[in-house]
Amino acid sequence: MAIKKAEQPGSDKTKYAIEASQVGKSYGDLRAVDRLDLSIPEAQFFGLLGPNGSGKTTTLHMLSTLIRPTEGTLSVAGYDVVKSPVSVRRAIGLVFQESALDRNLTVDENLRFVGALYNLPEHVVRERSQELLELFDLTTRRHARVGTLSGGLRRTLDIARGVLHRPRVLLLDEPTIGLDVINRRTIWRFIERLRQEENMTVLLTTHYLEEAEGCDQVAFIRKGNLIGQGKPKMLIQSLGAYILEIESEAPDRHAELLNPTLGTPVQEGNRLMFCVPNEDFPVAELQRELKSAVHALHLRRPDLNDVYIWLNRQKPRTRR
Amino acid sequence: MMWRAIWAIIARELTRMLRQRGRLLSSMVRPLIWLLVIGTGFGAMLSHFGPGGYQQFLVPGLLCMVLLFGAMLASLSLVYDQESGVMRMLIIAPFAHYWIVLARTVSAAVVGLVQSVILIVILVVIGYFNAAVNLAILILGLVVTAFVCASLGMLIAVFSKTLDNFAVIMNFVIFPVFFLSGALYPVQHLPLVLKIVTLVNPFSYGVDLLKHAMLDGLTTPLGTDFTIGQDLLYMIGFTVAATGVACLRFSHAPVIETLARILSTPRRR
Ligand SMILES: Nc1ncnc2c1ncn2[C@@H]1O[C@H](COP(=O)(O)OP(=O)(O)O)[C@@H](O)[C@H]1O
Ligand SMILES: [Mg+2]
Repeated sequence: MAIKKAEQPGSDKTKYAIEASQVGKSYGDLRAVDRLDLSIPEAQFFGLLGPNGSGKTTTLHMLSTLIRPTEGTLSVAGYDVVKSPVSVRRAIGLVFQESALDRNLTVDENLRFVGALYNLPEHVVRERSQELLELFDLTTRRHARVGTLSGGLRRTLDIARGVLHRPRVLLLDEPTIGLDVINRRTIWRFIERLRQEENMTVLLTTHYLEEAEGCDQVAFIRKGNLIGQGKPKMLIQSLGAYILEIESEAPDRHAELLNPTLGTPVQEGNRLMFCVPNEDFPVAELQRELKSAVHALHLRRPDLNDVYIWLNRQKPRTRR
Repeated sequence: MMWRAIWAIIARELTRMLRQRGRLLSSMVRPLIWLLVIGTGFGAMLSHFGPGGYQQFLVPGLLCMVLLFGAMLASLSLVYDQESGVMRMLIIAPFAHYWIVLARTVSAAVVGLVQSVILIVILVVIGYFNAAVNLAILILGLVVTAFVCASLGMLIAVFSKTLDNFAVIMNFVIFPVFFLSGALYPVQHLPLVLKIVTLVNPFSYGVDLLKHAMLDGLTTPLGTDFTIGQDLLYMIGFTVAATGVACLRFSHAPVIETLARILSTPRRR
């Protein structure tokens, strides 16, 4: 069944695949998600990033109509999640943190089962399975029981399962969790391929922040609050050219010493991290100066982990 | 629109049944042990009912036993399906959540029915299936009883939080339902308390209906306890009510939320 996009004549405004306005979910006193505002344009690749327990899954479940928001309004693919849950579910594909496959059935049988749940004509299911299995290099495992597949292949199949019905919005909850680095990269490559082929909106969550650099847009969530949002490149650039890490026995003294040139560092135990604003910072000089006093001195490019660390540091000042 | 989904759910359930050969085999062996070992033992003691009289009396109850184990376990498996992943597919599928309850009730009933047909074939082969059976009532009885077992299992499944343990299910659900029916002894001779429990137990009426189908043609003092009309009325009423309550309960937002939470919590162990 093809889902027709409601084309509104004369409107050239950006269409949003996901729109959240002041969305909240409370469990008793705990605000798992707190006044969340999100506008994700169609075809965007969006990363929702945060550590464990920050509210990512809760957000995804609200988007997929499994959890009702206790506050605010939320629409996905133009449908309100509370008023038209079935329409929302038809328009989305959800890949849970845990596998949504039947281990006792084969790869093919799983896909056919899903096809029937979405009432897709059988020839569509056949063509589509073929296409997806090729896209994800799974063709040779077609008749294998899912229980015999490796963790990486199973996750891949789970994503294929999530997009069989060509959803307009694909939601992925920690698609790389529990996988080794190689499989994690593969999964990202497949998501990228899928985006190129299908032009769908993708929202994924991960707590491996550094891997989300390929997203068009990322948002950081902490204890249910959005604490920052932007293009990964811009966010990283805004930190500076480098991150300088210093390990020292006397971190407080070194923090004070470098404060005039590099500003306030982030301190974790006896490790200090400074943002180095420009490329031609005289590292060699600093190294000579501190050589005997510090254990280690290390200069590296910032990544999204650093963005999160700095956002976290600023948060109490800006919001409370 | 829903029939394809329902059919897929039935087909999956049957595929699983056929792939779990050991389980299928034991669900056939179980009633045959009752018939050939216990039936023979008690039959010898109760020989005044005629040779094979007690065994003949047992056959309807044992067919119902297969339905009970097959259909009820299949619908109870809703509780521990959290591990199989299928629940995740169903809960985000594009239909109202109560359809999950309806489709799984139907598929559980079908699983029970297929198993009971296999048992009938075995009974015919080993000569314990008498020819004087009323086929129409038999089929009707099997179908309705299968739905009773499936909807009873579903009702328990949607309300239970702790029934994730096979032994608990066996001891606190399946065995009481089986023993407190007329499957092994006529209801009318039971002491009052047990009799009341038996009269409430919808499974008793399934056993009774199958006795009508299989024993009415025979002259045996071990007969039926209710009329065919009573049996059907009680069972259909029960199935409709139980399924309705199960659907309402399952569609309840907090139930789905809890389920969604369990479904996305990484598996312990
Ligand atoms: N059903 C629930 N009852 C109580 N607390 C919950 C429930 N679901 C989630 N939480 C809490 O909400 C917070 C956010 O959880 P979650 O969305 O799963 O985080 P994440 O996916 O980012 O790890 C956690 O503190 C979690 O314990
Ligand atoms: Mg999570």
